[in-house]
Amino acid sequence: MASSPKTKRAASNQDRIRSLLGQYGIGIVLIIMMIVIAIMEPRFMTPGNIINVATQISINGLLCYGLCLCITTGGIDLTVGAQLALTSCIIGQTMTNMQWPAFLSILAGVGVATLFGFIDGLLIAKFNMFPFVVTLSMQLVIRGLSQVITGGRAVMLTNDWFTGIYSNKLMGIPMPIIIFVVVTIIMYLMLHWTKFGRYIFAVGGNVNAAIASGVSRFWVIVGVYTISGVLAGLASMIYTSKTGSAQSNIGVGYETDAIAAAVLGGTSFAGGIATIPGCVLGIFIIGLIYNGMNMIGVSSYYQSIVKGLIIIGAVMLDMVMNRNKH
Amino acid sequence: MKKTVLMGVLGAAMALMICGSAFAEDTTEVPAEGVTYEADVNGDGKIVVGYISKNFTDPFHAPINARAQEYFDQAVKDGVIDEWTGLLDGETDANKQIDRAADCISKQCDIVIFLPAEAEASDPALVQMADAGILVIEVNSKSASCDEKAIAYVGSDDVEAGNMLAQWVVDNCPDGGKFIHCNGILGNSAQIQRTEGMHEIMDQHPEFEMVGDFDTKWDGNLAADAASDSMSKYGDELVAIICDNDGMSSAAQKMCNDNGREDIICIGVDGVEVPLQMVQDGSMKATILQDGVGQINGAISIVESLVKGEAFDPAPVIPFVLVTQDNVADYIQ
Amino acid sequence: MAENYILECSGISKAFGGTQALKDVQLHVRPGEVHALLGENGAGKSTLMKIVIGLYQQDSGTMVFDGKPYQAKGPVDAIKSGISMIHQELNPEPHLTIAESIFLKREDTNGIFLNKRKQNERTQKILDDFGFPYPATTLIRELKLADVQMVEIIRAVSTNAKMIIMDEPTSSLDEQETQHLFRVIRDLKSKGVAIIYISHRMAEIYEICDTVSVFRDGHFIGTSALKDVSNDDLITMMVGRKVENQFPKVDCPIGDVVFKAEHLSGKGFEDISFEVHAGEILGFSGLVGSGRSETMRAIFGMDPLDSGKMYLNGQEFVRKHASDSIRQGVCMVNEDRKNFGLCLFRSIRENTSLPSLPERQKGLFINQSREKREVEDVSKTLLLKAASIEHNAYSLSGGNQQKVVIAKWILAAPKLLILDEPTRGVDVGAKAEIYSLMSKFAAEGMAIIMVSSELPEIMGMSDRVLVYHEGHISGEYFRKDILSGEVTQEVILSSAFGVA
Repeated sequence: MASSPKTKRAASNQDRIRSLLGQYGIGIVLIIMMIVIAIMEPRFMTPGNIINVATQISINGLLCYGLCLCITTGGIDLTVGAQLALTSCIIGQTMTNMQWPAFLSILAGVGVATLFGFIDGLLIAKFNMFPFVVTLSMQLVIRGLSQVITGGRAVMLTNDWFTGIYSNKLMGIPMPIIIFVVVTIIMYLMLHWTKFGRYIFAVGGNVNAAIASGVSRFWVIVGVYTISGVLAGLASMIYTSKTGSAQSNIGVGYETDAIAAAVLGGTSFAGGIATIPGCVLGIFIIGLIYNGMNMIGVSSYYQSIVKGLIIIGAVMLDMVMNRNKH
Repeated sequence: MKKTVLMGVLGAAMALMICGSAFAEDTTEVPAEGVTYEADVNGDGKIVVGYISKNFTDPFHAPINARAQEYFDQAVKDGVIDEWTGLLDGETDANKQIDRAADCISKQCDIVIFLPAEAEASDPALVQMADAGILVIEVNSKSASCDEKAIAYVGSDDVEAGNMLAQWVVDNCPDGGKFIHCNGILGNSAQIQRTEGMHEIMDQHPEFEMVGDFDTKWDGNLAADAASDSMSKYGDELVAIICDNDGMSSAAQKMCNDNGREDIICIGVDGVEVPLQMVQDGSMKATILQDGVGQINGAISIVESLVKGEAFDPAPVIPFVLVTQDNVADYIQ
Repeated sequence: MAENYILECSGISKAFGGTQALKDVQLHVRPGEVHALLGENGAGKSTLMKIVIGLYQQDSGTMVFDGKPYQAKGPVDAIKSGISMIHQELNPEPHLTIAESIFLKREDTNGIFLNKRKQNERTQKILDDFGFPYPATTLIRELKLADVQMVEIIRAVSTNAKMIIMDEPTSSLDEQETQHLFRVIRDLKSKGVAIIYISHRMAEIYEICDTVSVFRDGHFIGTSALKDVSNDDLITMMVGRKVENQFPKVDCPIGDVVFKAEHLSGKGFEDISFEVHAGEILGFSGLVGSGRSETMRAIFGMDPLDSGKMYLNGQEFVRKHASDSIRQGVCMVNEDRKNFGLCLFRSIRENTSLPSLPERQKGLFINQSREKREVEDVSKTLLLKAASIEHNAYSLSGGNQQKVVIAKWILAAPKLLILDEPTRGVDVGAKAEIYSLMSKFAAEGMAIIMVSSELPEIMGMSDRVLVYHEGHISGEYFRKDILSGEVTQEVILSSAFGVA
C-alpha cells in the first residue's frame, strides 16, 4: 500500500497481489454484497443512493476508527454510545437554551467528549485497570451526566448553520461525507505514516517489547482513548445535526456496529493488527447492510437476524480467503 | 367508620373479581359509583407511596417523572401521605422493574404507581406487588394482568393513536400513494398497538401502499436513514412516513425537508419538545400528543381519592390530541 | 528388520503451502538410547517431532512405534501410545499446582469430581522419587523456570512413556540443573526409555547422547553413533559447508571507558561496579538467577535501581524508562525474545525501526523511504534470511528472529549494547554470524556487554569476563589468560559456584 518498490522477481509481485487480496479480501465481500443488492433492487446503484449510503455511514465510521485504535492496543471503548448522548446534550443545552454560538457549542461538546476519552485512557494506563471495566463504568457516568444536563428532556436544534452540518453540500458533496473523508485521511496518515501509529501497533502487538524498545505505553493508551473521545464527539455533532434534536437516550448500542465494522475490517482483538483501509471496507459493509435491507424491503422482524448472519458470513469468507494465503 | 370502609373494600374487591375483567375490556364504560379501597393496606398507620418509572431517559417520560416528583414531594410535606419512595428508575428494562417492585414491597409501600416497560416481561412486578397486598396503579401502558391485579389503569389507548396516525395521512394525501412505517423496538406494547391501530385504518385504504416496514428501534437516526433510503428508492412516489413515536417522525421530517421534500407527511406519537417545536415553526405539519402529564395527574387523583377513602374511576382514558399549528401553543412549554 | 527399533519413521514428507518442510526423511530410534536430532533452525527437526506426536499429519510416509503401525491424532493420543514431548517453550498454566499440571487431562476422579487428595498424594510420591524439593500443591508460577522444566519432565515420565522427546530441555537450565537433568536421563535410559534429544549445544550432545541424526533444509542427512563423528564433522553435516571458526573474535584496540557502574544495588544484585570500554566485549557469566540479567535490566531502565551511580562517556547516566536509555545510546537485547523482543505479527521493517523512529521523522511523518533503505541495509549486514522485510517476524526461524532483534538495536546506533543470551535458541550457523557481528561492532568502537550461560561462548568471545555469584561479582578474568589456558571452564565455574 504505502510504497511500490521495483521488485526484481515476478514471484514477489504475485505474492504482493495475493497478500493484498488476503488483507483486503473483505473488499470482495463488499463487492458481492453490492452486486446482490443491485440485482434485487436496481435502484440501489443510482448515484443518489450511493451518496446517500456514504452520508449515512459517517456516524458509525467515526466511531469505528476510535474503536479500531482502542482494540488495536488490546483494549475496547464501550463509552462511544454514551459519548454520543453527552455531546449531543451539551450542544443542545448550550446552543438552544444558553444561546451560545454554534461553533462554541460544538467546541464544548466535542471538548467534553475528548476530556472523557482522556480520563478513560488515564484510568487504563495509569492505574492498569481493564479497559472493559473502565469504559463499561464510564459509560454509565457519561450517560448519567447527559440525563442530568437535560433532565431527560429533548432539546431542539434550530440553528440553521448547525443543522446544515448534515444537510449542506460542498461542491455537490454532502458535508458528512467530507467530514468522513477528511477524518479517514487523517486516521490513515496517523496510523500508517507516523511514529504514533507504529507505537499503537507495537503496544498492541507486544506491550513488553514495545516498552523495551522505548515506547511509552502510557501516552499511547491515553492517546488512543482521547482520539476515540474526539471522534465520538464529532460523530455526535453529525448525529445531532441530522436529527435536529439533542437528547440523552440516543446512541444506545452504537458501539456494537462500530466494533462490527472494525472487526470486519480486519482489526484483531488480539491487538496489534488493523488497517484503516480495512476499516473503511467494514464501515461500508455495515452501512450497506442497513441500506440494502431498507432498499430490498426486508421485513423489520428479520432485519436483526439478517444483519447478524451477514457479519458472521463476511468474517468467515474473509478467513477462508486468508487461509489460502498460507 | 373503619369497619364500613373495610366492608366497602371487601365488597368492591369481590365486585372487581367477578366483573372486573368485564368492564376492564370495555374501558369506555365506567361504573357510575366507582370503587374504593383502604389506603393503608398493611395497617402500619403510615401511607407510603411508591413510584416505578419506565425510565429517566426518554423525553416523553421526563415531564411525567417531573410531575410525580413535584406532586409527591409536596404531598409528603403537606401530610397528605407519609412517605414516598422517590422516583425509582425502571431503565426501560422489565428485569430492573421487577427488582424495583421488590424494593417497594420491602419498603412497605401501600400504593405504587407503575409504568410498565413491557407488556409481558414487566408483569411479574405487578403480580408480586398485588400479591403482597399493594394497591398498584398502572400508568401509560398496561402489563399483561393489569385488568386482574391492578386497582386502576390510567392511560391512553395506543390503538387509538395508531388510528389517528393513519387518519392524518389519509386526510392529507387524498390521492393516496406509497408510505413507509418506522417501528419502535419490536415487542414494546406501544409499538404493537400503534402499529395495529395504523393498520386498522390503512388496510381500508387501497390507494395507499406500505412499501417499507423498518426496524428503527425508536431511534431518530435510523428513522432518518430509512427516510433517505426510501426517498432515493421511490422518489416522488413516497408521500408519507408513519412513525411509532415522534422522535422518529421529527428526524424523518427533517431529513425530508433537508432534501427539499417538505411535501412528505411525517407523523408520530408522543408530543415531545422537538416535534412540537417543529409543528410550531411549520417544518412539520402535525404530531399526535400523548398527554403523559395528564396520565400521571389521573393517577395522582386516584391516590388522593384512596387517601380520602373516596370512590374513583378505575380506568380513566386520557385522550390523545392531534397537535397542529392551530393548537400547538397550548402544549408547548 | 534386523535391528530392534522403538520408533521407525520412513519416507515422511510434509509441505506447508509452497514450502517443503520435510522431504522423504527417515528416523530410527532404539529403545534405551538417547538419540540426538541436530540441524539448524528450520531444518525440519521440530516438524518431524510434531508429526510424531500428532500435532501435524504428514503428507506421505509411515511410522512404526513399538512394533505396530503408528499414527497419532494429537498429543493426547501420542501420550496414550507411550510418547511424550517436552516443548522448548514451556507453557504450563501458571495458576495450576504441580499436581494439577502433572495430571492435566488425566485427572484422578470420583465419578465426575476430581479426587484432589489422591492426586496430590500420588504426585508427592513421584516428586519424592525424583528428589524434587517442593510440595505437590505448589503453584507453577511460584517455581523457577528450571523447576518448571523439571515438572514437565516429571510429567512426561509419569505417563509411563516409552519414548520422551525433549526439545532444547537445557535452554533455561544452569550447569548444576543440567547435570541433574542428565542424571534423570541416564536413569530413564537404564529403564529402557528412549529419549529424542534436540539441542544446539554440541558439548551436551557429546556428553549425554548415544546416536545422532542430522537434518538440513528438510532433508535427512544421516544417522551415526556419536563416538564415530567429530564436532567439526557434525557442524559440516548440519550447515552443509565448513564453519571455519566457531568464535570469530577479532582482537581490536580497546578505547576509553564508555560506561561505568558504581555500587549498583537492586532486586537480585548488590554492590555491582564495573567499567566497559569502547571496542571491548565484556562477558558476564554465572548461574541462571545469579543476578546478571537483573543487573542489565536495571541498567537499561526496565527495573528500578535501589542505589548506585552510572556514567556514560563520563557524564552521569540517569534513566527512568527504557526510552531514556535508548535516547542516550544504551540498548539491550533481552534474553526473552518472545516477550521482550518482537511484535511477532508486525513486519520485519516495523520491528527493526521501532526504537529508532524518533530519529527517522520527516516533519510529522516517518520517512518511510529512508526507513526502508536503512532496514534493508542492516538486514543485509546481518545476513537476515527473509524474502522481504515486509514479512511478519512470525514467519522467521528463531535465529533470524534474533537477528531482527539485534538489527533494531544496531539501527539505534548504541554506544553501549547489552546482549542478554544473544544466541539462545539460535542454530550453529547463525551463532557464528552473530559472533562475527559482535566483533565487527566492537571494532567500530561500540562497547558490548554479553550475558551468557554458555561457557564456550563466554570464553570464546569476551575480552574480559565478570562472573556472578548470588548477586555479587565473584571473579574477573582476561582474554589473554583464557587464551593461554590459565583460565579454564573449571576456573570460571568454581567462581560461579562461589568456591574460588
